[in-house]
Amino acid sequence: MPKSWPMPTDMSMLLELQMRLRRAVLGGDTAEIAAAILGDGLDPSARVGIYRNHAFATLGDALRSTFPVVCRLVDKRFFAYAAHEYLREHPPHSRCLVEYGADFADFLARFTPCRQLPYLADIARFEWALNIAATVREESPLQAETLAAIPPGQAAYVALRLQPSLSYFASTWPIDAIWQANKEDEVPPVDITSGGTSLEIRRAGEAVSWRRLDPGTFEFRTALADGLVLAAAMAAATLKDPSFELTASLRQVFAEGLAVGFCISPKQETSR
Amino acid sequence: MTECNPIPSRSVGIGLRLPHVSEIAATRPELSFLEVHAENYMAETPALDRLLALRRDYPVSLHGVALSLGSAEELDRRHLSRFKALIERVEPMLVSEHLAWSAIGGAYLNDLLPLPYTETSLDLFCRHVEEAQEGLGRQLLIENPSSYLRYRHSPIPEVEFIAAVARRTGCGILCDVNNIYVSAWNFGFDPVAYLETLPIEVVGEIHLAGHHAVEDVDVLIDDHGSRVVQPVWELHAAALRRFGPVPTLIEWDANLPALGVLLDEAHHAEELAHAYRYVDAP
Repeated sequence: MPKSWPMPTDMSMLLELQMRLRRAVLGGDTAEIAAAILGDGLDPSARVGIYRNHAFATLGDALRSTFPVVCRLVDKRFFAYAAHEYLREHPPHSRCLVEYGADFADFLARFTPCRQLPYLADIARFEWALNIAATVREESPLQAETLAAIPPGQAAYVALRLQPSLSYFASTWPIDAIWQANKEDEVPPVDITSGGTSLEIRRAGEAVSWRRLDPGTFEFRTALADGLVLAAAMAAATLKDPSFELTASLRQVFAEGLAVGFCISPKQETSR
Repeated sequence: MTECNPIPSRSVGIGLRLPHVSEIAATRPELSFLEVHAENYMAETPALDRLLALRRDYPVSLHGVALSLGSAEELDRRHLSRFKALIERVEPMLVSEHLAWSAIGGAYLNDLLPLPYTETSLDLFCRHVEEAQEGLGRQLLIENPSSYLRYRHSPIPEVEFIAAVARRTGCGILCDVNNIYVSAWNFGFDPVAYLETLPIEVVGEIHLAGHHAVEDVDVLIDDHGSRVVQPVWELHAAALRRFGPVPTLIEWDANLPALGVLLDEAHHAEELAHAYRYVDAP
């Protein structure tokens, strides 16, 4: 450890200084930056701590505002602890904080102190889907007639592009009921053994909405959202629901304004 | 809203925060402009629609907090292009950023971290300001930060550094009077001397905000969470004497009060601007 930091006369030394301060802000260990800082009557680590506190407080606030029900389920103090651990490992890449937290649900699923709440990670996935819908504008929907021009022989190979605000999300827990109950001042009882749920989440004008889908419809729309062509999406849906009906389901997709574009895939891709 | 004496040529705005949007839209208070953090409006949120609706009645100033002009790496081109797209939609009266860095190596720390003030960092910062101004198609105002640490090797005084940036890049300066006060307190320099070293003609905006003192240690923290304190108003009066009636913003981002409190602060700033306009009239 050098006694004092040399003058950062070139870019690589300035970069090294900034990487050291980044590690001190995120990790809390100021040993490798302290020599570069004037104490001015205070321990250099206390000075770094002022920035560190601000970074963790504001980034923690951003997570709390995106995941309010996760926060309520675990209480504020535990949430702050979980957010702190997440932040150290996964600092934001985007400079827009509403886009921070894409992998928070995966982090919670691995975070052992949360084990007694097995549905917590799925609540986070649901809140992330709500957040996507709140930050992405709906595009003007594709009219069903547009597809009429497609030669019948190619119809099976059409892949639709869906509204960018859409998310499809299934859980073995009644996530929507748990979430809704925890938005109330007095949380009403929720039967968490009442079974799983398959949800569609989207932007509707200024609002965000979600609904439960039957298994065939959920499978079909999830397959479309994943970019599968109609033939493959139908096959997936029929596996879940043998009575699945393509024409009516497709008409519903257009009636709800879910499709915004399409392309015709080469035949070899339908085998995915 | 309380009755205010009519004041000609208003110059004071407030920071627009979400909880106040509906009330501002409904009551249309007399304000010279609204300022928002650019990064809060880069996603397609309903908040953006409401800002664009307010834009029909108020000039808007875009205050960037995340370009990270002081980073010892390339600017984030994606962020720059999102900023430009927002500028094209909002058509802001002013666009500003900070003398600071906040991201390095792919991690954004959401903090305005200080630079060592050296010839190397001056070259770097000027290059980034030039790139940003070119990329955004606009002049930037660069804000002096509030600081809580100084580097052992930082030979150029901050005020000379920021003046050099303005001279070399053609950018303007956003003079944050509260930040000068906070940094002067924390590092024992004379805030009036700092003000008097700032070049007059390039100061395009003034920021005013509250701060708080840390318990047990002699450090002030700029938190935009309370009223502007009297010594900062006094420093602001000195700024008005020097720079004239430039657009002045009341910033309040934490512990948000009722809108009326912000309007009251704005009214006080307006009265000061009015008073100094007459004092200095030729």
